[in-house]
Parts: sequence; structure tokens; C-alpha cells
Amino acid sequence: MPEPLASAQRFTYTYAEASAPALRDVTLTIEPGTFTVLAGVSGSGKSTLLRALCGLVPHFHGGTAEGELSVAGLSVRDHGPGELAAVCGTVLQDPEAQVVMGGVRAELELPLEHGGETSASIARAVEETALALGIGHLLDRRTDTLSGGELQRVAIAAAMVRRPQLLLLDEPTSQLDPVAGDELVWLLRRLNEDWGTAVVMAEHRLERCLPAADRVLALAGAGLACDAPPREFLAWATHSAPGLATPAARLFSLAGLSPPPASVREARAGLRSAAIAPPAARPAAVASARRAAPPAVRVRDAWLEIEDGPTVLRGLSLDLQPGERAVLMGRNGAGKSTLLRLVKGLIEPTRGRIERTGEVALLLQNPGDYLLHEHAAEEAGPEGLLRAGLGGRGGANPRDLSGGERQRLALEVVLSGGATAAVLLDEPTRGMDRAHKDDLARRCTELAAAGAAVLVATHDTEFAATFADRVVLLGQGVVIADGGPAEVLGRGWHFSTDVARITDGAALTPEQGAGLLRDRLEGALA
Amino acid sequence: MRFVPTYRPRPSALHSARAGVAASFCGALAFAGALDQHPLILGAALAGIALAAAGAGVGREVLAAMRIALPFALLVTIINPIVYQEGNTLLFRGGEVLGQRVDITLEATVAGALAGLRVVVIIVALWLMSVAVDPDALLRLFRRISYRSALTASLATRLVPVLARDASRMSEAARCRPQPAGRLAVARTALAGALDRSVDLAAALELRGYALGGRPERRRAAWSRHDIRLAAAAGSIVLLAIAGRIAGIARIETYPELRIEIGPPELALAAAIVTLAAAPFAGRAARLGVARA
Repeated sequence: MPEPLASAQRFTYTYAEASAPALRDVTLTIEPGTFTVLAGVSGSGKSTLLRALCGLVPHFHGGTAEGELSVAGLSVRDHGPGELAAVCGTVLQDPEAQVVMGGVRAELELPLEHGGETSASIARAVEETALALGIGHLLDRRTDTLSGGELQRVAIAAAMVRRPQLLLLDEPTSQLDPVAGDELVWLLRRLNEDWGTAVVMAEHRLERCLPAADRVLALAGAGLACDAPPREFLAWATHSAPGLATPAARLFSLAGLSPPPASVREARAGLRSAAIAPPAARPAAVASARRAAPPAVRVRDAWLEIEDGPTVLRGLSLDLQPGERAVLMGRNGAGKSTLLRLVKGLIEPTRGRIERTGEVALLLQNPGDYLLHEHAAEEAGPEGLLRAGLGGRGGANPRDLSGGERQRLALEVVLSGGATAAVLLDEPTRGMDRAHKDDLARRCTELAAAGAAVLVATHDTEFAATFADRVVLLGQGVVIADGGPAEVLGRGWHFSTDVARITDGAALTPEQGAGLLRDRLEGALA
Repeated sequence: MRFVPTYRPRPSALHSARAGVAASFCGALAFAGALDQHPLILGAALAGIALAAAGAGVGREVLAAMRIALPFALLVTIINPIVYQEGNTLLFRGGEVLGQRVDITLEATVAGALAGLRVVVIIVALWLMSVAVDPDALLRLFRRISYRSALTASLATRLVPVLARDASRMSEAARCRPQPAGRLAVARTALAGALDRSVDLAAALELRGYALGGRPERRRAAWSRHDIRLAAAAGSIVLLAIAGRIAGIARIETYPELRIEIGPPELALAAAIVTLAAAPFAGRAARLGVARA
């Protein structure tokens, strides 16, 4: 049995001025060369555990720590993040705040220079790390010209360049489209296998990373609730924490099948072993009869050409009907955010026109940007606070609210002008757990029922499948697919749900898929 | 047009030279402006900066600096004659304000305008440095000299663009509110967020091992033709400015009467500064990515 790389013994930590511990009695070990996923709802202590493993807790954040937590034999109570940096690379949530230099090469050189490496070894380490992470072509770029995905890879490379034994990542795929997110997870798995680096990764989209994981640590209420391999974790989650179960696991659970699969491949194998052929794809539903109504928003042949830059939109046309629940999907840089800004009127198209029948409300990616006052009550008024589920918390400073609370409040801020023809949301589910996504879907459905056209730009296919009645897929600045969720997501490759992959597009959500599978099972038994 | 100076690699002599030399060149032009108050020399320094900026391909960026420098210059020009009552040529008799006589004289006005021009020269020269000298290389140099100062500079250089982007996002969000928020509210919130941002950046620096205090190894590389030309130009500008001062060239008296000497020595000194500032950019151009060619 190898010596554990990290071990915690009844480790408890409370942030300065906090009334309750953020981590309580955590006991665990991390073995060298393992790939561990940290699961848990928002506020369960995932980020704090990562910050403790890299030494930011308690050295940087203050507060009080009890018990023991050591990494590579160094106690985090005695050794700060600088000392632990030699054995532990860390990438926190916001990649923009992770990058400290102006150029990519300088960013990768910095940790090595701090470690006192020679110029020759620095040059070699930078080159090799860049190649391993597929960012060789970015080495001479400026960091402020990189996309979110590129910035994320550079941050990981900077954390990896000293070849640490342990790599810690806090929601690294939250800003990435499905393609880039999958690529990143498999890249981490390759680093784990080729270099023997132990990876600990906190993530909400478990379906994306469980297939690569050896083990899952689930946190609940600041304590460790489950420590098991992926399949055992899913069995536990299905019964004890349904919010953490992946769509494939929920599909099996609802259909009465076991064991829960950790990947699409396992799910397909499970169906085969149960002698259930994937259900035949149902004909896609015709999108909407409401399209005959006059649109709330009409985009006609819109072009957006940036001076000395790329052409973001290329003659895009789109109608949004009142009461419609639409989602806008596409890879990073496809033009989703630009289209939303155009519809709101924040930017003007270089060609084409936008028609609106009334006010348009737009919630951009960072809800905190909307909150300008000292008290929540000053932002949205008493009714807005109630709708945001913040009744009685009007005196709270918006900065002290959780991410989900801030987002609900910001949504009420943009809706506070009265009736709106359209409500647009840009990546609202980023970093959200399922319960918060369900709350958001409910509020958006209410807005649509009140007559507003709701358009949500998202990478989250599972959210799209449960919320939308129309899916618009953008690519290269034009609409490349537009139809009902079953039509677009059921036939997608990357832009598809796990359940659609398992059922060959016959169903999108676990509930739909389980119904079909039960029919098949009953048919087989009969 | 950017209001935050941003470095971009370009195929120019200034961009290709080592950071210390390129910064010294910009510093020499700022020094020439700071040392002298003669309008011809200040004008020469400004013209030198403009030519260097054009030669380095950052003319537009440096023009943006004027939008920040000119209001400062105007402020100095206005305040000086109000504060200083000296000078024999009365332009405006303002009477008494709070028991103080306020008379505007030609001499105080010109002195204010020249001080303003000096501010412009210094700001524009430093702006040229910000857009044409790689800040990473400069910080690396600082880390070898003063570790703690470099830490502060690292935080500051990274914080400026991050805060500018935050402010831009917040201002966009403010436009999405049904009753758009004022600029003051946005600026106040952006500044309040600066503390959080600096904590995030400080945490990132900690995680990159900044606390270990390792100093970067000196990188030995042969001097390129750009290094040699720029270093020679920078040294010559500084020496000329000092020599001119010692020799009493470009003398100027503002009080009690305005006396500005303009003769062959002043013209020669000004022409020399302009020529030296432009000289490194003459001849074969630099190539992008071949910094030491």
C-alpha cells in the first residue's frame, strides 16, 4: 500500500467571522496517481477542501483549523501555499484571476523561476508542458487575447509546469462548451495516466467526469458523506442524494435497472445485458404551432463584423415568439452572447435589423455585475425580493449572498421595469447544482407563461432538455439547427444529452427514457 | 481606442529590444522633458516620442494617451496663473477672492502652459513604454533587483486590465437595468470589487510559489542591433539634455518677464533630440518573433 499523498484526520475549518464550519470532521486519504472527483451541492465545502489541500486554508484565508491535514507529509497548518506549490498545482474557479502574467510563456515560466530552476530547465519544462496540454501554439500569445477555454488550459499548464504530484481543480469545465469540457476531462485523465499525477477535481456536471474518475468524494453539510468508486457512489447518490445522481444513473434507477452506470458506454452495456435494445427513435415533434403569431423579437439578416477582428454573426435570422422557451447553444465563440447583446440593443449590427415588440430584459453571465447597492432591498424592492426567494433578507449585502441567490436577485433587477416582450439569459446555469437549475427553470417557465419569449444561452444540454420547447444551435455566426429539443438534441453528437446517447435519441431526459425502457422491459417479460 | 495601455508584440526595433534597453529609451525621452522647460526642447521631446511611436507601430495607442494627458496639462495651465501672481504683464485683473488678489499675468500663464506641456511629455513617454515594452520582461528584471517591489508591480500590472474589464462588464450590466445606473454607482462598485480581485490575484501568486522568493536567473544573450541602437540613442539623449543644461543652452526665464532664448544652439539641441529619437527605427525593420535579430 503506497503512502497516501494527502491525508486528513478529523479536519475542521471555520472561516474568519463565520458562524459554522465550512469543513467538519473530514477524514480522508488521497493515494498517489488517482483521479478523484469531489461532488456536492453548492456550499457543501468542495472549494474549501481544495483550498485546504493547497494550503490557502488556513494560511491565506485566516479562520480556525482543527484536526490534521497534510499533503506529501507537509501539514497545511504549518506550511503555506508557497511551500505546498512544489507538490501541489492548483487551478481555482475563475481562470481570469488565475493568470498573473501578460504572456503565456511568462505565465508558465513564473512558477519555475520561483522554484529557482535554471534557464535551460525552464525552457524545457515550458515546452514539454505546453505540448502535453496542447497549448504549444499559444506560447507567444498575450493572455488577454485568449478565450475562456484557452485561458483555462494555460492556468492548468501553469499549475502543472513544476510536475506536481497532486493537481487540484475547482469546476474547470464550468465555462466550457460540451466539446471543450469533454476534451479537458480526457486531457486530465491522460496527464493522470502518463505522468502519474493525482487529480482532485470539484465538479457539478458529474456525468462529464465520472467516466474518467477512480473515486468520488461526496460532501454534504461540510462533512464527507460518501467515499467510493463511481458506481458505488452513484448507487449511494440514487438513494441518499438524488441531486448528485447523473442522468444515466437516474434513468436506470427510474427504470428499475441496476447497477447504475458511470458512463454512457456502461449504460449501453447494461441495457444489452438486460436484453433491452435501445428504443426506436420517435419522430421528432413539430416545434411549435405558435410560430404563426407575431414574434416578440425578430432578427433579420444580422451581421456583426468587428473592425480588425472576426465576423461574429453572418446574416443571422431568428424569430422569437411570445411565450416561447428557447435555448441557444453552440461552441465557445459561436456568437451566442453577441446575439443576446444585439437583441437587447447593447450593440448594433453592422448590417441587418432587429425588431422588438416591447422591452427586452437581459441577464449577462456575471449576476454580481448588476448589484450596485449596499442592501438587497435597494436592488429589486420587496416584491422582487419575494420573487427571488429572498424575503426577509433585504438588509443583506448582495456580496454576501450565494451565487444562486445573487443570480435570482439580478434576474429580478432586470425584470423590475414591468412587462417585457423577451427575457434573455446568458449562461445562467454555470456552476449551479441541480436544485438551483430547477429553481431557475421554474422562474423562466413562469415568465414564458406570462407571455414573454424566453431565450437562454447555455452549454448545459440537460438543462436545455428539461426546460426548452425550442433549441437553436449556432455555428460560425449562423443558425445551423433550429427545432424542438427532441429534433436538435436527440440527433446531436456533442450537443446531446446522456440519455439521448443511451437511447439513440429516443428520449432526452431520464424520466422520458425510463418510461420507454419500462415499456420495453414489460414487453420483454410479456 | 484603448484607455488602458496594453502591450502587443510587434515587429519593431523598440518591441524587439531587451526590456531594460527599451524602457531606458522611453525613460530618456521622459527625462529630456522633465529636465527642461524650454518649449523648443519640450516640443522636440514630444516630436521624438511621436516619431518613435510611429516607428514602433503604436502611433494610435500613444495618441490615446493625449486624451488623458491633455486634461492634466489644461488643469496645470489654468491653476498656475491663479496660484502665482508674479509677472509684469497683466492680462486680467480679477479683484479680491477670500482676501487674496487674483491677477492673471502672461508670465504665469505661459509658465503654466509649459509645465502642462512637460506633464504631457512625461505621460506620453511612459505610455509609449507601457505599449511597447513587454511588462513580463520588465517585471522579471525588477524581480532580480527588488523582489517586493516586483511583487507589488506584478499585482498592479495585472490588476489594471482585470479591473478595466470588470468596469466594462458592470457598465454593460448597468445599461441592462430598467433604470440605467449612473457612472458613479458603477465606478464605486467596481472599486469596491477591486479588493476582492486583488485578493484573488494575490492567492494566485501564492499558488505559483511567489512566497518562495526565488530570483530569476540572469539570461545572457548577445546584444542585438536594436539593443545597441536604442541604448546609444537613450544615452545620447540623456547626455545631450544634461550637457545643454550645464552649457546654459535653452535658457528660459518666466518671472518677472518672459524671456525664451531661441537661437542656433537651441535649434541644434532640439533637432538632435528628434534625430536621436527617430534614428533607431531607420534601416532594416525588425521581424516579429526574431527578437534578437
